[in-house]
Amino acid sequence: MRKELEAKLIARLRDDVVCVEKTDARTIFVDVKRAGIREAAKIIHGAGARYLCSVGYDNIARDGTLGMIHTFALDDCNQFVCCRTTAPVGDPVIESITPDLPSAGWSEREVTDLLGLRFAGHPKPKKLVLADDWPDGIYPLRKDVPHDLVPKGAEDVAYELDEAPPGTKIVPVGPFHPSLHEPEHFAVYVDGETIKGCDYRGFMTHRGIEKLCQTQVSYNEVPFIAERICGICGSVHATAFSQAVESAAGLVIPRRAEFIRTLMLEIERIHSNLLWLGVAGHLIGFDTVFMQAWRVREQIMWLCERLTGNRKTYGMILVGGVRRDITPEIAEDIRNVVNKIEEELMVIHRAIEKDTSIHKRTKGVGTITREQALDWSLVGPVARARGIDIDARRDHPYAAYDEVKFEVPVLDSCDVWATLVIRVIETFEAIKIIRQCLDKMPGGEIFVEMKDKIPALRHAITVVEAPRGESVHYVITGEENRPERWRVRAPTFPNLQAVPLMLLDEQFADFPIVMGSIDPCFSCTDRVAVVDLQTGKSSSISKAELDAMSRKQQQRA
Amino acid sequence: MWLTSKIKQLLMVMKPGVVTLNYPAERPPVPKNLRGQPVWDHQKCIGCGGCSDHCPSRCILTRDVCQELRVMLYDGSRCTYCGRCADICPEGAITMSNSFEIACDDKDDITTRLELFMMTCQRCGRCYEMEKSNAIDRINLKGFRYDNLEQRALVRTTSETFSPELLKESDNYKRPSDKE
Repeated sequence: MRKELEAKLIARLRDDVVCVEKTDARTIFVDVKRAGIREAAKIIHGAGARYLCSVGYDNIARDGTLGMIHTFALDDCNQFVCCRTTAPVGDPVIESITPDLPSAGWSEREVTDLLGLRFAGHPKPKKLVLADDWPDGIYPLRKDVPHDLVPKGAEDVAYELDEAPPGTKIVPVGPFHPSLHEPEHFAVYVDGETIKGCDYRGFMTHRGIEKLCQTQVSYNEVPFIAERICGICGSVHATAFSQAVESAAGLVIPRRAEFIRTLMLEIERIHSNLLWLGVAGHLIGFDTVFMQAWRVREQIMWLCERLTGNRKTYGMILVGGVRRDITPEIAEDIRNVVNKIEEELMVIHRAIEKDTSIHKRTKGVGTITREQALDWSLVGPVARARGIDIDARRDHPYAAYDEVKFEVPVLDSCDVWATLVIRVIETFEAIKIIRQCLDKMPGGEIFVEMKDKIPALRHAITVVEAPRGESVHYVITGEENRPERWRVRAPTFPNLQAVPLMLLDEQFADFPIVMGSIDPCFSCTDRVAVVDLQTGKSSSISKAELDAMSRKQQQRA
Repeated sequence: MWLTSKIKQLLMVMKPGVVTLNYPAERPPVPKNLRGQPVWDHQKCIGCGGCSDHCPSRCILTRDVCQELRVMLYDGSRCTYCGRCADICPEGAITMSNSFEIACDDKDDITTRLELFMMTCQRCGRCYEMEKSNAIDRINLKGFRYDNLEQRALVRTTSETFSPELLKESDNYKRPSDKE
C-alpha cells in the first residue's frame, strides 16, 4: 500500500512530497510541503481511505513551525495514513481540506482556535472551541501558554449564530440540553413544526484535559484522566491512550492483559448499550423500556464494583497492562451475570420489537442516505445503521479482538430504528465476546514494565471501537515523561457534525430522539482547551415542555 | 400486534417487581475490593512523596517546612479514588478502605495530614526512588518540595538542598483567577 500511495502522490505532487514512510505494520506517514496538502488529502481519500480527524501541534520551540496532521484509515487492509505538513509561525496559513471532506470542518476550526493555524478556503471559519469572550491572540495549546492561564473575560460578546433561512423561526435548544442533561446549544430553524436547518454552538465543558496531560502529569496518570473524559466509555479512552503510547514506545504487553482489556471494553459496551436503550425509550416517552433496561443494567454496575472496585471509571488500564487480574471466582461471577443479562434482555427485546408505538416514532426518522453518511464520515452504530460496514474491532484489531469471533450487524434502513436494532444486537454480540474471552484467556503476567524511557517525538495513532463509534487517539511522545501532544477524537465529534443533515425536514418533536440516536456525549467532544464561563442565554423551552411535546407526538402516532 | 406487545411488557414489568434498594435503612454489604477512602499508616510512611507525584488529581501535597520536617497532606475533596497512591507506595502505607459514605460539611473531615520527621539520606539528599523498575513510574520530583497547603496547590519546583526562599515564595502562591 505504501508504494502505491507514494507513486500516486509523486505523480501528482512531484516535489511537494517530502517522504512517505511506514513506521510499523499499520501506520504510513506522508510528509508533504504546505502547498500540496489539499491535493495530498484528496489523493489519499481517493485511494479509498476514510477520513478520521486532524491534529495540530506546536513545534515553535524546535523549528518555528506549527504542524498539522490529517489522519485517514484504510479499513480493508488495516492501515492508517497520517498526512503531515507544517507552516511557519509567522505565516500560519494552510489550505483547508473541508471543501473536499466536510467532516474535517470542526477539526480545522479547533486547530485555528487552539493553535492559531488558519485555513484558507474554509467554508465556516467561526469560533468552535474557545469561549466567545476569549481574547484574540492567545492560543491555549501553544507551549508558551501556561496550563492555568485565566485571561480576563470580555463583556457583551455573543456567538453569532448562522442567519435563519427566510420564512423560518428560531427555536433555541440549550445551552443546557433539556433531556440529555449535557451542555450544548442548538438554534433550530423551524417552519411551523418542520425543521429547516440548525446551527450548533457547544464546547461549553472544556476542561483542558489535553493541555493538562501535556504539561502536568506523567504517562501513567493520563489513563486515569482519560477515563474521565467520558462517564460512559471511560475504559475506551484509557485503552486507546495506553495503546497509542505502547505503540510509540514499541512495548508489547502480555496477552493476558490484552484479554482483560477486551473483557472490560465489552462489559462497558453492554452497560452503555443498555443505558442508551433506556434513554432512547425515555426520549420517545416509552418509560417502560427506560426502567427495565436500567434495571437489567444495574447488575453489570454491581459486577464492575466487585471486579474493579468501582461502578464506573474502572481504573483498570495502565500503560503496559492492567491493574487487576481476573481470578477464577470473578470469571465465574462474570459468566453468571452475563447469562442473566442475556436472558432478561431477550425478554425486553421480545416485548418491544413489535410494539407499534416504538416503530412509529423511530422508523423513517432521522434519515440520511448512505452517501451522505460516507461524506460526513459517520462512525459506529449510526454509520452501521446506514449500511456502512465499519467496525474498528474487526477492521483494525487491537487487544484480543483478533482471536474472538463476532458479527458486525449492518442495516440499511438509514433511520433511528436501525440504530436501535443494531445496538441491541451488539449487546448480544458483546456477551458472546465476553464468554469467548473467559474461555480463551491465557495465563501469565498482566503487566509489563517499561525498561527505558520512552523516546521523544514519536508519533502513534490508535482507534478503539467505543459503544457509540470509534475513538481515535493520536499521541506524540514528549521529553518529560509525558505526551508532547495528545489528541482525542471521540465518536460524537464526527457524528454531531452530521446532525443538521439528519434533522432536515423532520418534525420538531422528533428532535430529542434524532439527537439521542447518535448517543451524543458532549463531554467527550468538548475535552480540550481551557474552562471558561459561557455567557449563555436561558433556553426558552423547558425539559418538561420538550418532553411533553415529544410525548404528544407519541400519542398522535 | 399492539395488544400482544403490551401484554408482554406487562409481564416483563410484573416479574421482577420492585427492585429499588431500601437504602439507607438497609445497607447491603460492600464488595471486598471496593476503592473507598484511602487511609494512611503514619508508622509505615517514609515520606518519599511517590503518592503525591503520581496522583492523577494532584490532591496529595508535600511541603518541607524545614530540613527535618515534611508535611504530607491528602485533600479528599478532590480525590477520584483511583487507588494509584496505594499501588505506588513502596512501603504499603496506603490502603483503600471500604468506607464510601464520606459526604461531610467540613473539608477537614476528609483531609489527612501527616507530619513526618525526616532523616537526610547520604546518597541523594532526600528522596527514595526505591525499587521502582518501571521507567515511566519513577519519581519525577525529587529533593525538597514546597507545595502550598493553604491553597491546596501542587507547585512543581523542587530543590536539592532545603531552600527557605522557595518556601517563602510558595507561601505567596495564588490560584489563578480572573477576578481582579
